[in-house]
Amino acid sequence: MPALQLTPWKRLANWLRVLVLLSPVWVSPAAFTAQPDDVQSGSLLLKSSPDAPPAEAMRVQSSFQVQVTGNLARVRVSQQFSNPSDDWVEGLYVFPLSTDAAVDELVMHIGDRVIRGDIRKRDEARAVYEQARSEGRHASLVDQERPNMFTASVANIAPHSAISVEIAYLETIPNRDGRYTLRLPLAITPRYNPSVVNATPERVTGEQQRVNIDVELAPGFPVQSLDSLHHSVVATNDALGKHVRLSSSQVPADRDFELVWAPASVTDVQGAVFAERSGDATYALLMLSPPQQDAQVVEPREVEFIIDTSGSMQGPSIEQARAALQMGIDRLTEKDRFNVIRFSSDASSLFEVPRQVSQTTRALAKDFIAALSADGGTEMRPPLQLAFATAPATGFLRQIVFITDGSVGNETEIVSYIRQKIGNGRLFTVGIGASPNAFFLQEAAAAGRGSYTFIAERDQVQARMQDLFRKIESPALLDLSLQWPGSVTAELASNMPGDLYSGDPLVVLARLPGLPERNQVLTLSGRTHGVAWVHQVPIVSVTDQAGIAKLWARERIATLTRQRNFGGDAAEAQAGIVDLALRHHLVSEFTSLVAVDATPVRPPEADARSEQAPTSAPAGSYWSKTTGFAKTATSAGLELLIGCACLAFAALLFLPLAVSRRVGGR
Amino acid sequence: MRRAICQSWRPRVLAMIVALVIGTVCLVDGCWVYAKALLAQELIGAAWQRSRAGEQDAKPWWWADTRPVAKLVIGRGARELMVLEGASGRNLAFGPVHDAASVLPGRPGNSVIEGHRDTHFRVLRELKPGDPISVELSDGKRFSFVVVDLRVADIRQSRISLGGERPRLTLVTCYPFDAIRAGGPLRYVVTAEQG
Repeated sequence: MPALQLTPWKRLANWLRVLVLLSPVWVSPAAFTAQPDDVQSGSLLLKSSPDAPPAEAMRVQSSFQVQVTGNLARVRVSQQFSNPSDDWVEGLYVFPLSTDAAVDELVMHIGDRVIRGDIRKRDEARAVYEQARSEGRHASLVDQERPNMFTASVANIAPHSAISVEIAYLETIPNRDGRYTLRLPLAITPRYNPSVVNATPERVTGEQQRVNIDVELAPGFPVQSLDSLHHSVVATNDALGKHVRLSSSQVPADRDFELVWAPASVTDVQGAVFAERSGDATYALLMLSPPQQDAQVVEPREVEFIIDTSGSMQGPSIEQARAALQMGIDRLTEKDRFNVIRFSSDASSLFEVPRQVSQTTRALAKDFIAALSADGGTEMRPPLQLAFATAPATGFLRQIVFITDGSVGNETEIVSYIRQKIGNGRLFTVGIGASPNAFFLQEAAAAGRGSYTFIAERDQVQARMQDLFRKIESPALLDLSLQWPGSVTAELASNMPGDLYSGDPLVVLARLPGLPERNQVLTLSGRTHGVAWVHQVPIVSVTDQAGIAKLWARERIATLTRQRNFGGDAAEAQAGIVDLALRHHLVSEFTSLVAVDATPVRPPEADARSEQAPTSAPAGSYWSKTTGFAKTATSAGLELLIGCACLAFAALLFLPLAVSRRVGGR
Repeated sequence: MRRAICQSWRPRVLAMIVALVIGTVCLVDGCWVYAKALLAQELIGAAWQRSRAGEQDAKPWWWADTRPVAKLVIGRGARELMVLEGASGRNLAFGPVHDAASVLPGRPGNSVIEGHRDTHFRVLRELKPGDPISVELSDGKRFSFVVVDLRVADIRQSRISLGGERPRLTLVTCYPFDAIRAGGPLRYVVTAEQG
């Protein structure tokens, strides 16, 4: 009677169903499906409140005038804010620029009149602007929101009229892989929220945003190829080089304009130094593309991989790290030597000393990696001690690749240990996962004269690690140093990397005491393929104000900002930044450009409305300074629910049993 | 007769035992999550006191690979929470965590702290704009913030921005608060500014 035997299980299923139905508090479907829009408490979503009727949007028309001279670009962005409504409005425009852009000019055009902006401390500039706004005068203000994000505010745009605001900036165009790329940000970022950045903002149509682009290209060499990557352009030859224009003003505003050009002939090393006088000092810009690598003559390497197997690496992090490690070993050649060191609370290594790459050692490494699992604490000193225990074999370049999620307590001690022990080796740090300790990893890489790679997303690991490994396989120039004419000590805007890798350009901005003389050279020296390398680059004096001093100041400000963010003295850094920015007329975190018209235009009785110009989808690259979300829920509630259900079920089963026992007993 | 009854009841007893075992395991496991959340906060609080008293590298328990970075005091109810460094799943079980990619509270930029919605950060649902949040760092510095914005974000479409020139504090937890399943795409984001 199979049917009868199944009965208890059928009943069990029925009871379970009843139980689930009896607990509406816990499994109410509403709790699962609540969407932001039907949240009961209205205060949650005030920011997107629909009670303001959508007024006719303010429009912005942008025009870019670009002059490229050698490696420098001077860009003038002119934005025309037009107000199609019947009210006086204030416009706000958010625009991204590259991180090293030096914004130094603001010009307001009202009819035929031109009003130039002044650089002020941020609060002062804001106060001046707000006063002008309340007094009904035309005014505009350019603020830096983040190093690569600026806002332009324009007050008192009359009904059915327009104000044109021109912002100018300077940037360098380094030679990367033999090509030069000019990038103009057309894709405007989404609305600026305090904390949450929308990754998929609305798109602006061609009708909403019109763009004109005009590029004068004088690269200083015959141009062989010239391409616009995303927009169709018309290029003509002129006396100095090329003249490039957009073929239509109706362009997709959802992606940046990128213009790429390359010289006709590629020399071995491409270096150029430009110098400019400003005040009582000389400012110099060095651009250097390292010599192309010949795979035959690469120095053999001794690579020590250090991998973090502490408990915090548990889950996807350790899997990613294992895959990256395996890739690194696969890429080694039989000339190289290697070792793998794992650490958590303790450290152990694959081999006692690094061994030659061979089929046997590869197989041993594969087994070692497969057996790695994440558990225990994070003690970073023992693995470094193991790595530094033996001197590198003669003729080998020692490279240490340190893969971790970076949670660490004794940062300073570890960094100074690395500095002390690194010798001629190089340490490359790789931070994996959502929140590696970026400060520590950067400092450690700097102490180890290597670089820091940050990998946040799992699907980036393969590509980013491949880039890193390819890079460190072919160091083009090692131990690079500069000798300025007259042996003066230059004040560099930021620390210079010790090594150059194929395809990676070097840009150095320096401030030299005294004024330049004619026909001087900068001597670069280093090591390549194991032999000494010396190269001399003539210093070209630039007579007109090309802006090298401004670029130097911009880079110096970035360095001060980094130092402050990494625990330096905040007040000191701020004073330094304000001083540099005011002296060099630059927009910065603490300084803004403000332009105010002398005469009031808005009658006092007319109210002003504030409006934000429509914005467009961003290129992903601008959003590097964001973080993802962690998993912030446990399954404890679900477990308790299941637990209670099971116990209740057991009780229900027990009840009739007890009753029947009593009946049976009688 | 009794034997017959026993035989017919055997599957029922078996089911009962299975249900008892599963039920107990689930209950213990579920309670353990809450117990761990409470206990860890106590131990971290003690380590915090020790490190404030001058002990170098005070760890909450000897094998811990994280350390408390801040003490949060949230809302009008002044709920105290110890914040750990590093947003790993393991740390989250012990307390709210500071996303190490972001700045420390009180520095220019956005400081991001995340916590479990069903344990430590359940308190976020009671916050309203204007409520105070204060943060104490291990060097004794105190910063006070005021809640300025509450919103729900979808992790498939958004990221947390880390920039800004003023100190900002962002507390994040899962949303909805009463959802039974973990791993949903919504987050409740509380933004506070220095006030």
